[in-house]
Amino acid sequence: MKKIFTLAIAALFVQAVSAQKLDRSQKPKPGPAPTITFADPVIYKLPNGITVLVVENHKLPKISASYSIDAGPITEGEKAGVIGLLGGMLNEGTTTQTKAQFDEAVDQMGAEVGVSASGGQASALTRYFGDAFLLMADALRNPSFPQASFDKLKSQSLTNLKSSERSATAISGRVVNALSFGLNHPYGEFETEQSINSITLDDVKAAYKKYVTPSRGYLTFVGDIKPEAAKALAIKAFGDWKGPVLTFPVLTRVSNPAKTEVDLVNVLKAVQSEITVTNLIDLPMGSPDYHAVLLANQILGGGADAKLFRNLREKHGFTYGAYSKTGSGRLQSTFSASASVRNEKVDSAVIEILKEINVMRTKKVSPEMLQDAKNLYNGSFALGLENPARGAGFASSILINNLPKDFYRTYLQKLNAVTADDVLRVSKKYFLHDNARVVIVGKTEMFLSGLKKSGFNIKEFSGYAEPIKMK
Amino acid sequence: MILSLSGLCLRSTAQEIKYIEYDLDNGLHVILHQDKRAPVVAVSVMYHVGSKDEDPQRTGFAHFFEHLLFEGSDNMKRGDFMKIVSSNGGQNNANTSQDRTFYYEIFPSNQLELGLWLESERMLHPKIDNVGVKTQNEVVKEEKRLRIDNKPYGKFAENIFTHLFEGHPYSWQPIGSMAHLDAAKLDEFIAFFKKYYVPNNAVLTIAGDLNIEKTKDLVAKYFNEVPKGMPVVKGSFELKPIARQIVDTVYDANIQIPAIFAAYRVPGMKSRDNKVLEMVSTILSGGGSSRLSTKMVDEKKTALQVAAFNYTLEDYGAYITLALPNNNTSLNDLLIDIDAEVVRLQTDLISESEFKKLQNQFENGYVSANTTMIGVAENLSNGYTFHNKNTNDLNEQLAQIKSITREEIRDVAKKYLSKDQRIVLYYLPKK
Repeated sequence: MKKIFTLAIAALFVQAVSAQKLDRSQKPKPGPAPTITFADPVIYKLPNGITVLVVENHKLPKISASYSIDAGPITEGEKAGVIGLLGGMLNEGTTTQTKAQFDEAVDQMGAEVGVSASGGQASALTRYFGDAFLLMADALRNPSFPQASFDKLKSQSLTNLKSSERSATAISGRVVNALSFGLNHPYGEFETEQSINSITLDDVKAAYKKYVTPSRGYLTFVGDIKPEAAKALAIKAFGDWKGPVLTFPVLTRVSNPAKTEVDLVNVLKAVQSEITVTNLIDLPMGSPDYHAVLLANQILGGGADAKLFRNLREKHGFTYGAYSKTGSGRLQSTFSASASVRNEKVDSAVIEILKEINVMRTKKVSPEMLQDAKNLYNGSFALGLENPARGAGFASSILINNLPKDFYRTYLQKLNAVTADDVLRVSKKYFLHDNARVVIVGKTEMFLSGLKKSGFNIKEFSGYAEPIKMK
Repeated sequence: MILSLSGLCLRSTAQEIKYIEYDLDNGLHVILHQDKRAPVVAVSVMYHVGSKDEDPQRTGFAHFFEHLLFEGSDNMKRGDFMKIVSSNGGQNNANTSQDRTFYYEIFPSNQLELGLWLESERMLHPKIDNVGVKTQNEVVKEEKRLRIDNKPYGKFAENIFTHLFEGHPYSWQPIGSMAHLDAAKLDEFIAFFKKYYVPNNAVLTIAGDLNIEKTKDLVAKYFNEVPKGMPVVKGSFELKPIARQIVDTVYDANIQIPAIFAAYRVPGMKSRDNKVLEMVSTILSGGGSSRLSTKMVDEKKTALQVAAFNYTLEDYGAYITLALPNNNTSLNDLLIDIDAEVVRLQTDLISESEFKKLQNQFENGYVSANTTMIGVAENLSNGYTFHNKNTNDLNEQLAQIKSITREEIRDVAKKYLSKDQRIVLYYLPKK
């Protein structure tokens, strides 16, 4: 079952090193392309639905395991925050040991164990790993849900909410999603003082029964362990675990604005404003557009060499960094370009971001730019192999996203085949200019008149995404 | 007992980081580490210059150079540095502390020579001109807004260090003063470069999928011609002991929940006591079963968060305890609870079981510390730069930790964590 796969980095061409007198004006050519290898994990399926993946790697005397429940996004509605509280409560003791005893047992081994509503992790030195792993399983399977812990976590949640009340970054994170997806969508909803206060311990217990289960579970072992030993441990800890069968949720589709709009949230004390230009996209990883979108995004805003950074930071000095990103996967996600900009330059920065998006949509990228972006992806693929968990990540991504088995083996080949026409086509399709949402969270008096002059359709919202009548 | 002190019981041979090291004629110290398990190579230069080497009227220079030295060179157009790295499949970054500046690239291993060219261009003849200074001046101001002015609790370090290190360059932060940077002339930047960014004040560490002999040849090819600088003389600053507790208050518009900090001046990173204080931190706040977390977060539920950490620097360090209240607990009550735990450490030996726990926690951390090539490169450079040229420091750390006794933990806590020698900082929301 275990295979080692080999490929060469196509974009990093083979060149011999020459030993001439040093001409510093010529930057050195690359050496022979290194061979890229990654190991497929050994995969087992337990009868209760758990998929077990094992990557054996004896580099360090250490093992880590993670359990992940692929429940998809959970809609919490009026009880927003219940899944977070459930995650906290799973770390508050089990039917056989109090939280204090549990923590003591973990720390005594120098191990790390943590669980949440969507799974858990355990890592430890090889000699302690079995015990650490069983502790993780105990936390997931036998939580005791003490009322006193619930009260503590609830009060902490409320205090935490309060602590980020003034943070432009936190408000932006909340409002961008709420406006993009709507308040009734699991990606758009957020916790409030009211929703947290309404949650009872019974709500948490009910959520536990519904979502913490072996169904759609992926258990991954990486490190100093033999596959058979990992399997035996998995069976010992989870073999007799029963739980409800999960189905991946079907969500209502949401749409982009009919016309580009600017949504403002005023934060009086902000020193910088958070700008996000965003639109919804559909991009399953198996889409023929997938690799082209990765490259288009890289060219627009993938890093310090991309158009947004070059323009907003290096040319104009508006910001410390400007980046874009695209989501992908089974559900609707977003494309977004964002920057933290000093208040007085916000209107100029918005115009520059939209300009760069428009250039991507209307002008073919140069062959050099495209090749540079490809080289970067080829390089990061190689660099990623430093992490022994990479092979397991590839395998579970193939299973979860229902991808062809050779998805990661042909990944660079497909990426290297993308043309400038492809980049133009996908930029038009995925990076919107006329149906975008520009969300700005900051000190609005500093830039409102500038934005108005530019003729934007402007709306104002509270920090909780409620519309406010403009004065 | 003797055996456990000797460090012989460690099973660390499997993880020993092997390396070779040598000096070029220009004084550049070179460290090479080979690891062929992934097709990756990290090329790094650690310059022994940080904010503590700055003129008190020109603070922020070392950090400013972290930006300026990406502007290009005689053979590289402005802005091409990062472009060359990413378009050749690499990643790069840099960071500046009070004591040193660390520049690095991580590449697929066939681009090793490119990494050496980039770092040697930067050391030999970087572009330092008014255009670059002006651009990076704006960028640094944005960085300050992002990381300090607009960041909740972003001002604690400057407010603590001002008092704790009065009379020492640690009293200002690496980001420095924007007024100083505005006032600085191009000549001053060039002079700072010539003084500190010289091969005899730097360590070149290369780790990863490389051939040692070939790499030596390449290092010579690119770095031999970099001229040696004047010897770098470090300032030395003796601080007067703090005689009485100093109390200060700071207001932050970015927060709603107040916080309380107590900070003590402790010895620098070379000293054994510094390692002991790392252990003290773990006893107090490392893990769910640590003393402060158990008592204040879980049992009394008075704290949302509580922490103790050792802010390690070369000349001195700052030992900082802090807490954020839950349920409107008063800051003074939090401080009383933290102090009680400090006093307990100073009075009673930790239990054998806690001691065993500590050792396991440090061993786990040690095993995980050198998993990436850039991590190995930085740790090797740190050893040479800060531990009396002992590059092997990273291989000795666990043995040092294991040799620390329970009595030492008690005595070190007693020696340094005294109320009379500390700063208490009330960190409050600005209305």
